[in-house]
Amino acid sequence: MTHRILCVDGDKDASEDTAETIRSQLADLDPVVETAGTLADAEALLGTDTDVIVTEYDLSDGTGFDIVSAAEDVCPDAGVILYTDTDPGTLDTTELRGAITEYVGKDSVFGEERLADLVRTTIETRSQGSYPMPQTEAERLAALQSFDLDDEELIESLDRITDLAAAHFDVEQASINLITEYSQEFLACYGEAEDWETMDREDSICTFTILEESGVMAVEDVTEDPRFQSRADSLIELGIRAYMGANLITSNGLVIGPLCVYDDEPRSFSPAEKAYLRDLAAVAMDLIEYHTQLRAVGDIEEADQ
Amino acid sequence: MSGEQTDGYAFDDGLPIEPIDPGSTVLVAGPAFSPAEAVVRSLVMGETSVEEGSLFISTSMTSEKLLKACRRTNPSLDTTLTGIIDCSGQEPKPSEIDAEVKYVSTQSDLTGIGMKFSALYESLYAEAVDGRVRTGLISLSSLAMYVDLRKLFRFAQTLSGRIDSAGGLGVFAIDPTTHDERTVNTLGQVADGRIEVREYDGDDEAIDGELRVQGLPAQPSGWQPFSLS
Repeated sequence: MTHRILCVDGDKDASEDTAETIRSQLADLDPVVETAGTLADAEALLGTDTDVIVTEYDLSDGTGFDIVSAAEDVCPDAGVILYTDTDPGTLDTTELRGAITEYVGKDSVFGEERLADLVRTTIETRSQGSYPMPQTEAERLAALQSFDLDDEELIESLDRITDLAAAHFDVEQASINLITEYSQEFLACYGEAEDWETMDREDSICTFTILEESGVMAVEDVTEDPRFQSRADSLIELGIRAYMGANLITSNGLVIGPLCVYDDEPRSFSPAEKAYLRDLAAVAMDLIEYHTQLRAVGDIEEADQ
Repeated sequence: MSGEQTDGYAFDDGLPIEPIDPGSTVLVAGPAFSPAEAVVRSLVMGETSVEEGSLFISTSMTSEKLLKACRRTNPSLDTTLTGIIDCSGQEPKPSEIDAEVKYVSTQSDLTGIGMKFSALYESLYAEAVDGRVRTGLISLSSLAMYVDLRKLFRFAQTLSGRIDSAGGLGVFAIDPTTHDERTVNTLGQVADGRIEVREYDGDDEAIDGELRVQGLPAQPSGWQPFSLS
């Protein structure tokens, strides 16, 4: 897993110094640390995989808060640390309500050492993320990467499972979703879900489902659930008023994502319905694991020949 | 930095809670009329003889009222190492208190609260022995009236991250009776453990309430009576 850190400061020497300190103190994480001198340069370097942005407040073509706003669009999970001489008491933060920015004073007695500590915590605990994460997140992501999920035959088999789920629950849309480091990917789909594109993890219902100890999460009405109320309109536009997801759990107990059904009307789900979706999710997981094992055996035999 | 500290944060004898590891955040859950907020104040003001920093984010109570409430259970309170982010929205008044106070005009300005918290934390960290700082947020429930759950989660998670990286102690108050269970469970994810507080129905006047610690290692199990004075 590569960690990307962006240091922004109009003073080139200062940004290089900061970058070098971070490289040195976080050497065990082997981060990619880039520098930018202006807002425009910084915006050009932002990517979906940017983990942390360390920025001065005053820039020649804007402010550190402009970078916070840009990051909200490009990399909403990234943490932002304002590393500045500017007194935070003099900054107008009202425009940024809700966006969280850490502050470290350049003149602080701890200086760059304190900054490096905070960058490390921000990376390791995703401390500025807007959703909770499983305690086994690193292992979970490693498990996800270990599967061969591009094979067309596998996808066809998984599509049949989403077809079965949609038919059983009498819904127009169903899908098997993968929760990656920063996003939700749609692996197999039924109905209009086939047109859905990757979404940010912070916008995903399923990022909460993967935390469910019971393995199944039902949302009777997204407009009534405090976790999803703020984006209910966009969910309803997708035809998602009610939701149920059952986790795909590997043989090592790690969740790679859920099998989901979506209804465009509020509805409840019975214990029997939850059990049924859980069974279908288990079948999907078995298919993925067997397929990956078969592919591995095939690769070994090919190498032997 | 958290690695520099090994001793847990200890509490007054009246609170049946064993020392909590540096870097931890706990949620203190109790209804509005229970002594939950008083427990938070007591956990943050800690043992009075210890030279640790105390930092409050006070959402509804002015800094003067907050310190007055602290002095009800600890009349000899020394506030030279105390900082307060006053988000009550009330006009700052000239005051004789020696705590450092920073004002944020509205509870919805989480960016302002977070940045002033960071700045105040830095200064207390520099002055406290071994950089030991306790943070009390009173309360998450009040902030929840101004911002949605996602923003509040991110805010609480960020505070918890800073406390973790600096080896501090975080104590966040929540009134579970004013929230959906899903809200409490989601916010609970930012904390290492939970302390539930309820009123005491017995006749012993020395007892102010009962508490139960969950999710933290080596703590008393079940409901325990406590005294704040």
